[in-house]
Amino acid sequence: MQIRGTHAITLLSALMLSGAAQAEYSAADEIKVLQGFKAGGGSDTLAQLTQPFLRESLGVEFINEYIPGATGAIAWTRLTQQSANDGSVISITNTPMLMTNYIMNDAINYSIDELTPIANVVTDPGVIVVPEDSPYQTVEDFLAAAEERPGQITVANSGVGGDDFFSTIMIEKATGLSFQKVPFQGDGPSATAALGSKVDASFNNLGNVYGHIKSGSLRPLAVFTKERLDILPDVPTMIEKDIDVVAGSSRGYSAPAGIPDEARDELIAAFEALKDNEEFQQTAQERAMNLDIQTGDDYGQMMQDMEGQFEEIWADVKDEVNQ
Amino acid sequence: MDNLVLVGLTNVITFTNISLILGGTLLGLFVGAMPGLSATMALALLLPLTFGMNPASGLSMLASLYVGASYGGSIAAILLKTPGTPSAAATVLDGFPLSQQGQAGRALGVSLFASFIGGLLSGIALLTAAPLLGVLVLKFGPIELFAIAVLGITIIGSLSQGSVVSGLLSGTLGLLLSTVGMDLITGTPRMTYGVINLFSGIEFTVALIGLFSIPQALILIENAHGAQKVASKITDRLIPPLAEIRRLLPNIFRSSGIGIITGLIPGTGGDTASWFAYNEAKRFAKDKSRFGKGDIAGVAAPEAANNAVVGGALIPTIALGIPGSSSTAILLGALMVQGILPGPNLLTDYGDVTYTLIWAVIFANIGLLLVGLLFTRLCVSVTRVPDSFVACSIITLCVIGAFAINNSLFEVGLMLGFGLFGYWMNKAGVSPAPMVIGLILGPVMETSYQQSMLIGQGNVSIFLTSPIAVVLLCIAVFSILQATPLFRWLRVALRQRTQPE
Repeated sequence: MQIRGTHAITLLSALMLSGAAQAEYSAADEIKVLQGFKAGGGSDTLAQLTQPFLRESLGVEFINEYIPGATGAIAWTRLTQQSANDGSVISITNTPMLMTNYIMNDAINYSIDELTPIANVVTDPGVIVVPEDSPYQTVEDFLAAAEERPGQITVANSGVGGDDFFSTIMIEKATGLSFQKVPFQGDGPSATAALGSKVDASFNNLGNVYGHIKSGSLRPLAVFTKERLDILPDVPTMIEKDIDVVAGSSRGYSAPAGIPDEARDELIAAFEALKDNEEFQQTAQERAMNLDIQTGDDYGQMMQDMEGQFEEIWADVKDEVNQ
Repeated sequence: MDNLVLVGLTNVITFTNISLILGGTLLGLFVGAMPGLSATMALALLLPLTFGMNPASGLSMLASLYVGASYGGSIAAILLKTPGTPSAAATVLDGFPLSQQGQAGRALGVSLFASFIGGLLSGIALLTAAPLLGVLVLKFGPIELFAIAVLGITIIGSLSQGSVVSGLLSGTLGLLLSTVGMDLITGTPRMTYGVINLFSGIEFTVALIGLFSIPQALILIENAHGAQKVASKITDRLIPPLAEIRRLLPNIFRSSGIGIITGLIPGTGGDTASWFAYNEAKRFAKDKSRFGKGDIAGVAAPEAANNAVVGGALIPTIALGIPGSSSTAILLGALMVQGILPGPNLLTDYGDVTYTLIWAVIFANIGLLLVGLLFTRLCVSVTRVPDSFVACSIITLCVIGAFAINNSLFEVGLMLGFGLFGYWMNKAGVSPAPMVIGLILGPVMETSYQQSMLIGQGNVSIFLTSPIAVVLLCIAVFSILQATPLFRWLRVALRQRTQPE
């Protein structure tokens, strides 16, 4: 039902958007996109943003298949172990979930070695926000409070294994401080807890809380980016405070390992072209998505770096979390 | 401000948008009536279609779909004992017995009018009091949510018709099954036996379809060769007499209130609200014994509540940019595509679009009344189909519905497993309703308890620091005591003391 429905929608929007297809994709006429989350979620938003543009440049139809469950692991297991590696099946890959899934659970047994990274498309940077009436004006205030009352400052995150959970631990490790981490079911509930002053702070993602930051109901203390963001020029990075934390929640596309080189190159070229596509940039901006296009080996390197980093962190804190 | 309200109104009242509202409602009714296909799912699928529309048209269609689906679930619940949506599960308890007594038309009519009034009231609340009620949402954190879940669990006691023990057993089983899956705090999979399909827990809709629909289909097949069916003759009319509506009005108003409040709170939605409303309708009824055997109040309450949830869940969405339910999360996505960032400025900076959405909800409820009357009349013809055909269609729909949830066959197998278990429960006289409540509230209760413990540094007295939680927990204690003979003893003791004088 759902597949058929999506198909109909795909065809319909193809009719609406049909433009001149330039290069033909060599591997298939249709590309199936496995999504590890429900229709209408963040992954789907990415699909709806990118796929109309890719359809034009590659001349293929995209068929989304939603396979939610186990924070994406069911879809990624199917991608790596049960899908044709001829370039006709790809998947939206969310980092760091993609790696933390199998790092944290022995029952999940795919790994990033079993896939071909195509391109990362968006990265939603991490941010520390506190309630409007919080006593903490700066990140220094916040860290000082944690030093004064170790383990008592409550910090909401989007769930064990998410980027916010790990960035909290990274800050704890870098500073030697400890927070009381309170996991919620997603970034939304985590931000709501901060809005209602139910927690002292929320480690969140910018796209999710930007509206609240703009209206003043949440105050950003620091962002987890390499450099300050244009839209938040007054908010320092953690690196400025000599705490080396760069983190965010990223979404991109990957194929199974061993797809034909030609198919890989064509896919990568299509994503590379998005970098110079003004209409695409414009649409992404309207939908509040922070583009961070990194293709092929760069995306692969990004995954490897994260895998190494999170394996190390998890080995450290595993016993503490599982008590 | 008033200006924006009017701008929203004029945005909705165009020929295109009114037609989209009627079409959306019809689609919603259809989706709602099918077991397994939910409003959230339909919204997500329709969302990309709205990208190309202007905001008013897109939002009108999505809002009406949401409203239609909230009512549609009751049609199958009343006619076939198979709730089309999770929030219609409570409607089965009295709706189906009514249908068996040949009063399907009356039950459907009351359900439609209760849904209409509930939806309209929540729409009005949305239009007039959203900023006010929105602030209330922030008062509900893990501690308060835990108290709500505890209060909800006490409903199990009052639902256990016949044997309390079997009701408690069923409820406990539901709670136990709700612990399957990854632990939120540690990320450890529990009772999953290495099956990654179980990591996110047992999909509640899968259990619901299995427990209610499959046993009903099997029983229809069993009885197919028996006497001709009395059950589903429609002899009464759909539009309820004014006197009946007037009699049910206090119940509908109360249930709508419950629906709006439950919808407000992120983490609870139509599935919870309908049980709360059903329970309160029973608590306030003079003759409690007729509940479960076909009391029309038991249909009006959950239906008013689950449609009132629509407006309720939209209140935090538009007042604060926090989605109150998974369906409103998708509506929020629709707003974002129109270039609107979720936040507390939806009513001011983006007032034209937001008020369009609010008016669309109100008009969708009016559309629901019109389309609903026609659609329901059509659905009733299902009762003229022989039972064995109906049974096969139910099973087919269940399989499709279970598959559609996660697009996987695993859920189909799980659904059938629950079906067989439900059939056994039916034969053994154990009601599946408490089990469903356990499955709905179990995760809410466990998660909020663990979060409260983390926030309170492991000290249970944290629950006493929140006035809301204290009040809710007191009501819960009162509800439990009400189910014991304590109050009867007290009354007897009191009478004995006063009599000698």
